Amino acid sequence: MKEIMAIVRMKKTGATKKALVAAGVAGFTAIRVLGRGKLITDPRELEACREKLLAMGLDDFSDAGDTEKLVTSFLDGSRFFPRRLFTILAHDDDVPRIIEAITRANQTEYRIGDGTIFVLPVQDAVRVRTRESGEAAIW
Amino acid sequence: MLLIRAIVRPEKKDDVLAELSGAGFNAATMVDVVGRGKQKGIKIGGMVYDEIPKILILMVIPDGDKEKVTEIILKTARTGTDGTFGDGKIFVSPVEEAYTISRNSKGL
Repeated sequence: MKEIMAIVRMKKTGATKKALVAAGVAGFTAIRVLGRGKLITDPRELEACREKLLAMGLDDFSDAGDTEKLVTSFLDGSRFFPRRLFTILAHDDDVPRIIEAITRANQTEYRIGDGTIFVLPVQDAVRVRTRESGEAAIW
Repeated sequence: MLLIRAIVRPEKKDDVLAELSGAGFNAATMVDVVGRGKQKGIKIGGMVYDEIPKILILMVIPDGDKEKVTEIILKTARTGTDGTFGDGKIFVSPVEEAYTISRNSKGL
C-alpha cells in the first residue's frame, strides 16, 4: 500500500483528475497549497523563462520597471506559488502506472514548476463504512 | 528521503522558511491548517478555542539532512528562550520515491 503525493499546477487539476480516472484510479483527496521548488541555477534556462514572462507582462497599462521586479521575484526562488496537492492511496503494483499518468498530464513546455510526485509507504487503511482494512480498503 | 511535516505558528512561518532557504533547503510546500495540541486548545474564560490556526510546512529532504533541517526549524520556530505551548511539532516520515514532472526524472 502506497500514498502518492502529487503537487501540480492549479490549472492542471482537471487534466490530472481526468488522467487519474483514465488510469483506473477514482479516489483521491485534493487541497490547495502554496509551494516553491528547488532553485534553477542554469542561467540559460532562467534567461529564456525571463524573456517569456517579460513579453507576457508588457502592455499599455503596466509599468516596465514593475514588471521587471515582479518577474525577478518569480525567478529568484523566494516566492510561493499556488498549487494543488493530490493525495492518492494505491496498491503497490499500480504506482508506476499512476505516476506515468500524472506526469503525462502535467508536463508543460515551461520545463520549470510542473510539480513533483512523492511516494510514501502506508501501514494500514480502514474503510469507515464496512470496517474493511488493509488492501481491501483502497478500492 | 524523508518527508518533514512541521506545524509552526503563522507568525514564525517567514522566519523558518527564510532560514531554511538560506541553508540550501529552498523547496517547500505550505498549507494553512487549524489544530489543537495536548493542552486541549486555549481556554479563555468559559470559551475553549481548540481550532488554533497554524501553518503546516511540508518538505522532502535527503536522509542525511534530517538533523540539519529539524535543528533549523526547532531554533527558528520557538518563541521566547525556553519555548512556549503552541510552538508546534515536527513529524518525519519515510519517502520511497520522488519524481520531478518538468524533467520527467526520478529523484529530488
